[in-house]
Amino acid sequence: MRTFRGGLLIGLAVAVLVAVVAIIYEFYDTRTLKRTVRRGEVYCGVNVGLPGFSSQDEKGNWTGFDVDFCRAVAAAIFDDPAKAKFIPLEASERFKELQNRKVDILSRNSTWSMSREQNYDLYFPAVAYYDGQGFMLPRARNIESALDLNGSKVCVQGSTTTELNLADYFRANNMKFEEMKFPKLEEVIKAYDSGKCDTFTADVSQLYALRLNMTKPNDHIILPDVISKEPLAPVVRQRDDDWMMIVKWTLYAMIDAEELGVNSKNIDEALKSKKPEVMRLVGTEGSYGEDLGLTKDWAVRIIRHVGNYGEVYDRNVGAESKLHIPRGMNQLWNAGGIQYAPPIR
Amino acid sequence: MLEFRHLFCSTIAAVGLIFSTAHSYAQQPQSDPGDQPGLIADDTYELDPEWQKQVVYYRTTEAPGTIIVATAERHLYLVQPGGRAIRYGIGVGRDGFQWQGLLNITKKAEWPDWTPPPEMIQRQPYLPRFMAGGPGNPLGARAMYLGTTVYRIHGTNRPDTIGTKVSSGCFRLVNNDVSDLYDRVPVGTRVVVRQKPEL
Repeated sequence: MRTFRGGLLIGLAVAVLVAVVAIIYEFYDTRTLKRTVRRGEVYCGVNVGLPGFSSQDEKGNWTGFDVDFCRAVAAAIFDDPAKAKFIPLEASERFKELQNRKVDILSRNSTWSMSREQNYDLYFPAVAYYDGQGFMLPRARNIESALDLNGSKVCVQGSTTTELNLADYFRANNMKFEEMKFPKLEEVIKAYDSGKCDTFTADVSQLYALRLNMTKPNDHIILPDVISKEPLAPVVRQRDDDWMMIVKWTLYAMIDAEELGVNSKNIDEALKSKKPEVMRLVGTEGSYGEDLGLTKDWAVRIIRHVGNYGEVYDRNVGAESKLHIPRGMNQLWNAGGIQYAPPIR
Repeated sequence: MLEFRHLFCSTIAAVGLIFSTAHSYAQQPQSDPGDQPGLIADDTYELDPEWQKQVVYYRTTEAPGTIIVATAERHLYLVQPGGRAIRYGIGVGRDGFQWQGLLNITKKAEWPDWTPPPEMIQRQPYLPRFMAGGPGNPLGARAMYLGTTVYRIHGTNRPDTIGTKVSSGCFRLVNNDVSDLYDRVPVGTRVVVRQKPEL
């Protein structure tokens, strides 16, 4: 009788222990997908304010290329792009905040580099936007190539990689230049606008944004040459593969959709398509969504609510935006650019 | 492969083409075909930045000097050496009037005349049988003929239709741009027309 009671007690203790461990495990589960689903919302780290990429209006609504990407992730998971919460982060704190799990994903014009992945234990799943350093100059100068800038007076922000890239580029091409350095970007553009320099260098996306505020924007052009690599990508934590796969394939689904001609306006028509590539994308063939831990129509949700890559580009930084940045490198690989997504198959 | 539909140039718009402008305003149908023969082109019209001529990054396996028409984008690229292209804004064929393929420029003409073809006249008997080249002609300042087709790259007297899909398969540029392109390309130039993929 005593041994029976003792056994029962031990059994009960084991059961309680197992339950407690399970609860603790569940609570401290580091898998972002599980946590996000339980919370019912994706936490996105975004830029405090960068025209075209991430900005907030007076009513508190967020818009931008980076913002839309996060909405696409939310749409894939919850079939609701509004299930994304935006947390503005400064450049200096962004990677730490991601590491500390304050956000699930960083979608904040961050350049993918080796040291950033290594030092913060992070992972950049895929390039969302190919940026790079370029040049703005007066249209009247009639120059079409950066190689024709020999002997130019160049306005540049001091103590930046931009300044170093500028020197490297001119040295590598045997060209001379005179540098006009300023500590702040606003001062650089002001100096250029008042005619103190022949040309002005910064990242191409910045040049287009800054041009909007110039006295006569249309009197200036931005050369097609890009002299540095600034691949902007979303960022997630390492060793979080389920989550990383969702973020990566959300972007790829948007790019593949554009390539296949599937967009937010014809998505219902696409669901009836008999083309195998389209069928795999929209989930009428295969189980690609389920394999990601999502639903069959994961890509349909993204495209319906947010759009394909080209739609998101045009709306925020391209043809339909104020910025009017030509697709350039961000055009699809088969249409003049280098934007390329692996196939869904 | 090209679909040789018996369609005529954009300039020979499908619906409601009326010759005299004064007359046309009274009879202009609801659907704007994007053409108004007789209307004098406003060459001071400022295009939206998206449709202004500019040099852009462009990676392609086609040789410099090739023209690539990206119908869905409403851009025409003239491939340049060194991974770039001169990009022009264009007006393209409306839905159902678009096509894809490789052609060559077979003929070039300045201020081309317009002779609406018999099919067109049959559909729209009120059209002029002939319209001499000039600023009121919907073909605009220049035309480059594509192969043996009825399609052309040409100017326009309606700069506001650049960036839209209104034509019957032709590609239109503003007169300044079409003249610029005309001076850069010889007869024999390869023209690649690209379409959005079908679902």
